[in-house]
Amino acid sequence: MIDFLRGYEDYLGGWLWEMGIASLATLQLMFVSFWLACAIGMVAALIPMARIKSLNLLVKLYIGFFRGVPVLVILYWIYFALPEMGYEVLVVSSYTAAILGLGIHGGAFLAEIFRSGIESLHKGQMEAALSLGMTPAKAMAYIVLPQAIRVVLPPIANFAVGLLKETALCSIIAAPELMLRAKDLASSSFLPMHAFVMAAVFYYIMSFPLMRAVEYLEVKMGKGLRTG
Amino acid sequence: MPEFWIKMWEWWPEIFPVLLRATAMTVQVMIGALIVALILGMAVALMRISTFKLLRYPALFYTDVMRGTPALVQIFIIYFGLSDLGIEFDPVSAAIIGLGMNGAAYVGEIYRAGIEAIHRGQVEAALSLGMTPVRAMRYIILPQALRLMLPPLCNYAILLVKDTAIISTIAAPEIMFEARRLVQATFMYSISGQIYLICAGFYLALTLPLSQVAKRLEKAKERWR
Repeated sequence: MIDFLRGYEDYLGGWLWEMGIASLATLQLMFVSFWLACAIGMVAALIPMARIKSLNLLVKLYIGFFRGVPVLVILYWIYFALPEMGYEVLVVSSYTAAILGLGIHGGAFLAEIFRSGIESLHKGQMEAALSLGMTPAKAMAYIVLPQAIRVVLPPIANFAVGLLKETALCSIIAAPELMLRAKDLASSSFLPMHAFVMAAVFYYIMSFPLMRAVEYLEVKMGKGLRTG
Repeated sequence: MPEFWIKMWEWWPEIFPVLLRATAMTVQVMIGALIVALILGMAVALMRISTFKLLRYPALFYTDVMRGTPALVQIFIIYFGLSDLGIEFDPVSAAIIGLGMNGAAYVGEIYRAGIEAIHRGQVEAALSLGMTPVRAMRYIILPQALRLMLPPLCNYAILLVKDTAIISTIAAPEIMFEARRLVQATFMYSISGQIYLICAGFYLALTLPLSQVAKRLEKAKERWR
């Protein structure tokens, strides 16, 4: 154990700095793709409310497909397949590809979360709002969504933890983030164990507050909530 | 757009068998990891519900760390890190151990939630009948808790199938690894899109039936109550 820690002697300062910077890149990647996923998920959750069959089917296919497929397939598609097949217009940097991939993949998961949140509300809420003369859009915005947020916040926070961990996959398409930096440092120092353990510590530091937030929200939001 | 499908049709005989074999490997890794996770997860869950702090806190820490760090990092530590310290694994066993240890944290949580969902009176009744705690667990709690656990366990299996994709990074010959190799080794760059689409198809062929099973189990759980 002491021998192992001694391995850090020459590298600790430099690594802390480099991995710290890379962690910021990871957080940025997570943040941007989180909002993209939220936007996509919201649209995919609200479209079925409009009751247009063809759109409905499209959303169903989107959710079914992207929930059943690993992120890696999507990342490969965006980053490798599109340029390789000759669609020059769609060539993007690895960072953009990572954001798009995580956003599109996450959107399918968030859509399900949002939908279950909206459906968890009693139908009477919507009916009451409509009978008061609200338009469906207004009823959604002022009556249903504010109440649904309470149901969906814990699973959304849970999703954020998952998303943070999924950003590590983007190192495979060489998007600049923590895992890629850890790989670089591991191969340049010939100390893979030290580099990856330190990367794990950085990831844990980032996910720790999020995981505590999940627990807090589950308790806080669960209070007085009727389930079933 | 039609040429996309025509090309896929032409290359189908070359691509399909390779990816089919890779899928067999994916299933193998997934089942291996599932077994490791189910067994190790039981230990984690029993430690977590123990009243003995020396058992409870390590299990809590294990769960937290495994759930708080990416599976990719864990697998790299096992494959690259341990080989640096002189413990060498082949990619497939490293993948099974890594995904299994990662899964033990999730499965442990599922077990724990299932056990804790059983009414406290059940244990008390069993204990007051003179059963030992182990017997009460084995004959009273677990059989009831199992029904609650099955749907989330099935969902976990779906996650596991998708997680196997990351072991392509340690050169385990599963779907994504073989697909990339197919593209690079045979210079089939112009049809890489088709190849990855077939990959997606294989993953869906594994995950969609599982999610149907999960739905069924969820319904059955309601009936059992």
